[in-house]
Amino acid sequence: MACHALTRDAGRKPGPQLAGVIGRPVAGDPAFDYSPALRAARAKGDVWTRERLDLFLVDTEAMYAGGWMGSPPIRDAKLRADLLCVLGGR
Amino acid sequence: MHRRRLLALSAGAFAAPSLITSPARAAVETREQNGYRIRTFNVRPGSGSRDVACNADGTVWFCGQRDGTLNLLDPRDGGLKVINLGPGAAPHGVVVGPDGAAWVTEGGQNAIARVDPKDHRVQLWKLNGGPASANLNTPVFDKTGTLWFTGQGGVTGRFDPKAEKMQVWDAPRGYGPYGITLTPQGTVWYVSLAGNYLAQIDLASGTPRIVEPPTPQQGARRVWSDSQGRLWISEWNSGNVSMHDPKAGSWKKWKLPGERPRCYSVYVDDRDAVWLTDFSANAIVRFDPRTETFLTFPSDRSGANVRQMAGRPGEAWGGESGTNRIVAVDKPQA
Repeated sequence: MACHALTRDAGRKPGPQLAGVIGRPVAGDPAFDYSPALRAARAKGDVWTRERLDLFLVDTEAMYAGGWMGSPPIRDAKLRADLLCVLGGR
Repeated sequence: MHRRRLLALSAGAFAAPSLITSPARAAVETREQNGYRIRTFNVRPGSGSRDVACNADGTVWFCGQRDGTLNLLDPRDGGLKVINLGPGAAPHGVVVGPDGAAWVTEGGQNAIARVDPKDHRVQLWKLNGGPASANLNTPVFDKTGTLWFTGQGGVTGRFDPKAEKMQVWDAPRGYGPYGITLTPQGTVWYVSLAGNYLAQIDLASGTPRIVEPPTPQQGARRVWSDSQGRLWISEWNSGNVSMHDPKAGSWKKWKLPGERPRCYSVYVDDRDAVWLTDFSANAIVRFDPRTETFLTFPSDRSGANVRQMAGRPGEAWGGESGTNRIVAVDKPQA
């Protein structure tokens, strides 16, 4: 979470803001210039569901090869579930 | 003054995972760009090849962040040794120590790892303080043989290999500590990506002294010293490369070419040429401080994403994390 804001008014961060990310189109922060990989995902209609986010956090490259986010894989299912709760606002 | 909390004083836990060394070979491709020779080594699918460190014998270490390995590439024949760093490993940074070993910021196990240069035995010293996952980032040795490191989760730290003593501190402004470098004068500096600052670490106390870059919210991601001790900084948010001269207390900055550059990494070579990477341009970019000009080397594959560079005289090396390749840019032959 070092690179992202959870609120829309948090100012400029290294990554896109994640307020309301669950249910949002991939590459859905209009203020952020996404990688071609994530822009292509948006163009084909991908949406951040809980399931998609969970898989993304396990291995970002496996889902969207060439994405810019350099996050290490999160292999701990409990940690991912906690993160998804935070991202979902509950 | 920021309140600083000493998180851990004693040596971390010691563990030695079983050594798994797999022989393999990387196919090499060569092309010419801007008069330079580019070599790319197809290392291993799924490895997530990223930070590199060059050995004096010509071999190159690189981290496989996705599959938890440290890898040793021999560019002469593409020979590849694959070393498993243990369960859950996700190594980020690597540096060659004064003992000739590879020292790794092993974020997956929240540990500093040492890989022996001869038998490739792995030793781990876990952080025994700070957050459960400090998101360890980049290591560097100072001139006394102490390893300094950053953690993007909001820490800086040091490890004395002789005493096996680990210390970890909360960083100013929390999240963000990223690149770290040693100057010829012996000083250690780091940058904070989320904290938007450059800082010099007091080597006696571990206390950082923040130096504010001139561009607000610039996203200082990596830092490297030139031969004069000037600090070169890759700015992710602004798309600038900036330079701080500690002697003069001055700053200069330059915008990378293109409409919306994303300057990820910086490395300064033995001739003080500045090697940058730009994710928007999908390129390695060479900056000549004398002429203040850029030379761009786009990758021949999309989404290359070189996240760090290092080198030896005449060779600049990086890991294409998005293509599972290691790349070398060789100085033009006279």
